[in-house]
Amino acid sequence: MEKIKITICTGTACYVLGGAALLELEDFLPDELKFKVEVVGSACLGMCKNALPDSKPPFVKVDNEVIHSATVQKIISYISQR
Amino acid sequence: MFVDNRMTYLKREVMAAVASLFFGNKLKEEINRIPTRIIPRNSVSHRCCVEKDREIIRQRVIASLGFGLEDEKLVDESLLSDFAEKALDRVSPDKQILSFIDEACKACVRVNYYVTEVCRNCVAKPCITNCPKGAISSDEKKANIDGMKCVNCGLCLKMCPYHAIVYVPVPCEEACPAGAISKNASGKEEIDYNKCIHCGKCIRACPFGAVVEKSQIIEVLKSLTGSGKTTALIAPAIAGQFPFSMKQLSAGLREIGFDYVVEVALGADVTAHTEAEEFIERMDSGDSMMGTSCCPAYVEAVKKHASAFEKYVSHAKTPMSYTASMTREKFPDAVNVFIGPCIAKRHEGLSDDNVDYVLTFEELGALFIAKGIDVSSCAESDFDLGHASPQGRNFPVSGGVAAAVKKILQDEGRESELTPVYINGFNKKSINLLNIYASGKSPGNLIEVMSCEGGCICGPGVIANPKFAANKLKEYVDSKEV
Repeated sequence: MEKIKITICTGTACYVLGGAALLELEDFLPDELKFKVEVVGSACLGMCKNALPDSKPPFVKVDNEVIHSATVQKIISYISQR
Repeated sequence: MFVDNRMTYLKREVMAAVASLFFGNKLKEEINRIPTRIIPRNSVSHRCCVEKDREIIRQRVIASLGFGLEDEKLVDESLLSDFAEKALDRVSPDKQILSFIDEACKACVRVNYYVTEVCRNCVAKPCITNCPKGAISSDEKKANIDGMKCVNCGLCLKMCPYHAIVYVPVPCEEACPAGAISKNASGKEEIDYNKCIHCGKCIRACPFGAVVEKSQIIEVLKSLTGSGKTTALIAPAIAGQFPFSMKQLSAGLREIGFDYVVEVALGADVTAHTEAEEFIERMDSGDSMMGTSCCPAYVEAVKKHASAFEKYVSHAKTPMSYTASMTREKFPDAVNVFIGPCIAKRHEGLSDDNVDYVLTFEELGALFIAKGIDVSSCAESDFDLGHASPQGRNFPVSGGVAAAVKKILQDEGRESELTPVYINGFNKKSINLLNIYASGKSPGNLIEVMSCEGGCICGPGVIANPKFAANKLKEYVDSKEV
């Protein structure tokens, strides 16, 4: 089965506004998800530049879906619901 | 110390919004819109309603502009643009570096003791009989404490045979090592600056973000965009903060508008040498011990709360102080801005002629966001004034200062005389400990004290989590990058 790819933006805006905490995502993944996902850090995804007013950093991509104001919990519940 | 949560992000977002307007030359014109921009109408409220969230953001903006919130009438009657105008005209920053957002503060209990549902409404009622203030009464279900009469003595908790009474802490008061925070008669939290050691633990401890720093970001922005030169003095802890290299950081700082970038680890090298020499002198003259001197929160605690230990504190100046004086000599016309993890440094900077302003890493992060700089994509640039030793760069972790002193003693063949003792993280008990050491009961002869547990890399103004910061700093120290 193909793994779900989680791309965490480590551009400066995302990093400062909460992205720093997302780098620990793998430590918080529940056992049933651990082998289903691949977590990668990425250079600035450029999403902060043309974000809508209510979509804020940090940005994370789950495959091609974008999550804004991402937190560890938000990412986990998003993947779990897929 | 390290608490990273929505509160800290919101704080950074506010600072970035203020800095962004400044860079765009529309601070006065648009600052009144910040609360509605950050808390849009359809957002999920963190408190009772969107309006209250916005009001708290508004007060946070006032603190970002460098003002306190003590004068309620002024806070209520002024627009953010009025404050912005005053900030732009201000000549020198405020001496008292912290303030409280009372609106956010009200979430905390007035009294620390609460009778839970576990109360059996027993016949004996030892809580009522023993309360010295007659503050407890009972209804048909359970005992209740009258908040207006209770003096927080805690006797009721000790007396209850069912353990039905709990202690409910006020996080900022609990975190303060110096007992400097308490409620005044009207229930508003106040800081007693005769006791405060400026450690900043209260800022991160408050889950409502009610303790705010009076930022100097406006002063720094004025210098960055003005015609004069500005130097960034970067604390060694910065090496653990960001997911990019120090050379990229140096380039990023120049892109913000800093003309020179100097690593404060240079000053740490001087501090270590001075402390090592003084250590030898002290041991030769029969002294029992020496305390380090680079953590300003602990030095302030010694002055205010453990005066018996004062004579043992090394006379070496802090890395910031040495670096600032080197920089002033080299670039006499430049404004010196120290950028670090520390709140106490802001206080120290106010009384050091060579340090003009102090920013935290969080505020630096806000400047990057405001300028739209992605540092990972910056080119590389060198530091000015040369490079520090690995030992100097390793100062900001617990054990780092003692290790640097030891390395120098090694070169003189006297390292066997050194028995370091570490106070890693300052709390209420540490003050007692210093007094005990001063009475001649010290287990070693070099007392290294760091107010923040883990060292400066875990300070109140950091961005990275401690694990990431410690690994990244170690990587940098080991690389011996020049």
